[in-house]
Amino acid sequence: MSVRLWLGLLSAICLAAIAGSLLTGSTWIGVPDVFAGLTGKASDPVNTIIQSIRLPRALIAAIVGAGLGASGAALQGFTRNPLAAPGLLGFSACAALGAVLALYFNYPNYVTPAAIGFALMGALAMTLFSRRKPGASGLVLAGIGIGALATSVTGLVMNFAPNPWALSELVYWLMGSLKNADTVDTLTAGPLTLLGCACLILAGPALRVFGLGEETARSLGMSIGRTQALVVLGCALCIGSGVAVAGAIGFVGLFVPHILRFLTRADEAWLIPLSALGGAGFLILVDSFIRLTSGPGTPLYLGIVTSLIGVPFFLWLAWRQS
Amino acid sequence: MIELKNISVRYGQKTVVDKVSAACQSGQFIALVGPNGSGKSSLLKAIAGLVPFDGTTSLPAERRARAKQLSYLAQNSTAPNDRLVEDIIALGRTPFSGPFMRLTAADKAAIDAAAKACETDSFFGRKFGTLSGGQKMRVHLSRTLATQAPLILADEPTTALDPYYQLSILNILREATRAGSTAIVALHDLKLAERFADQIWVMQAGQLVKTGPAKTALSETIMREVFRVTLSGQIISKHQN
Repeated sequence: MSVRLWLGLLSAICLAAIAGSLLTGSTWIGVPDVFAGLTGKASDPVNTIIQSIRLPRALIAAIVGAGLGASGAALQGFTRNPLAAPGLLGFSACAALGAVLALYFNYPNYVTPAAIGFALMGALAMTLFSRRKPGASGLVLAGIGIGALATSVTGLVMNFAPNPWALSELVYWLMGSLKNADTVDTLTAGPLTLLGCACLILAGPALRVFGLGEETARSLGMSIGRTQALVVLGCALCIGSGVAVAGAIGFVGLFVPHILRFLTRADEAWLIPLSALGGAGFLILVDSFIRLTSGPGTPLYLGIVTSLIGVPFFLWLAWRQS
Repeated sequence: MIELKNISVRYGQKTVVDKVSAACQSGQFIALVGPNGSGKSSLLKAIAGLVPFDGTTSLPAERRARAKQLSYLAQNSTAPNDRLVEDIIALGRTPFSGPFMRLTAADKAAIDAAAKACETDSFFGRKFGTLSGGQKMRVHLSRTLATQAPLILADEPTTALDPYYQLSILNILREATRAGSTAIVALHDLKLAERFADQIWVMQAGQLVKTGPAKTALSETIMREVFRVTLSGQIISKHQN
């Protein structure tokens, strides 16, 4: 199956998943009512459920999943390391630190700008630290170091949480959830993730050449600095905005590109848009599952379920490939 | 014609290429020889613009313009194992392509010509990881030739290959020079250098100590002083110097 067919198939899966998430939930809403709800012509609870709860939640899941998938594919391509993922290179940790600081100092309205700001600061720090050794190894070393530092400071902030309730709020937030997703989140994270994905897709053709090694890529006229800047900025925008609205969601950026590389045999340039669609579809489906299975008690957290689903599939894939 | 003037490369405090000046005519096969650590790879990287250097070359300084003038075959060339052979060779056209790297008819013609010259067209449709070491090197060489650059720089392309592939790779490079390209090829095997090269550049401790045809460049004196062996193949111990 050609890459273009895969793009079409994954787009169709995303659209079907969004449609499914609008229909299902604690209450089933029929297709005519969903259309009426989308245009504001349904009865009041249906309008509210569709416009303020289900649609923003499905769109946020798509946005966050797309950002995670595209970032993972770009980082794996740039570092030529199959283990590279936004979580490993510190993007998620920096964004989470920003959000945790905003929550700790009781500025819940500033969680989004803090997460994006810290992700961008982390990206800038990675770029500065890897200046002496531009390229994959420098970025990986700087990213791991800065990520570890951000994780430590996040732990420190949680250590000084004023009371157990504040600590539990931080812990639950870090587990990742879309339960509070709203239209404002969609309008904030959407454009930033689109911009981030555009940076990553623009870097894609260069990543194809970097597969030949950095020396060869440079001899073919590629600029490591420009490619690294596009990848780092793209990841910071995608992950920063994703963490800001959904918390830390791990593993999607690692295993979605892996699975799609295995299934589609696509190169780095195509793998970025494919992984964006794959990540989006996966996260919408997982969030729909959470909405359908969570009872009135403690809800399931998105970050936990993505890992629980992803890890066995990833291990099966690794076993099959070996 | 390619001209190098006072090329020096330093890694920190250590000078690995020391004021190398040389020139070569179009269509020449230059074998760059010298003991391990003599600066062959660093000189090739300097010419390719891959390491900072002092001095000047006749090649363009701008990245994209330079990439159109030379193609570089790295010592440890690599490629993703799941990539198709034709896709790897196509990357040789990168300097001429736009941001999304769409191949033109001219690009496709260059790729086909390079694959035919290296007999890698029969590998089309196969994944890179399924090839042997010698076949992989021929694919890398195809990618190098696909650029159709006037200057080819190859850093020890015959290392770890059996005699068939060593001769095959060097024959392809010689054919490329007959078609008008200049090739500067770092080689360890002096017999291969003697057999294929029009000119031999001998390096020792970062300096170009001798240039010329094999008969003069690989004289008894050079063999003794630079390579620490005699022409008859005996090793000269440190105490004999």
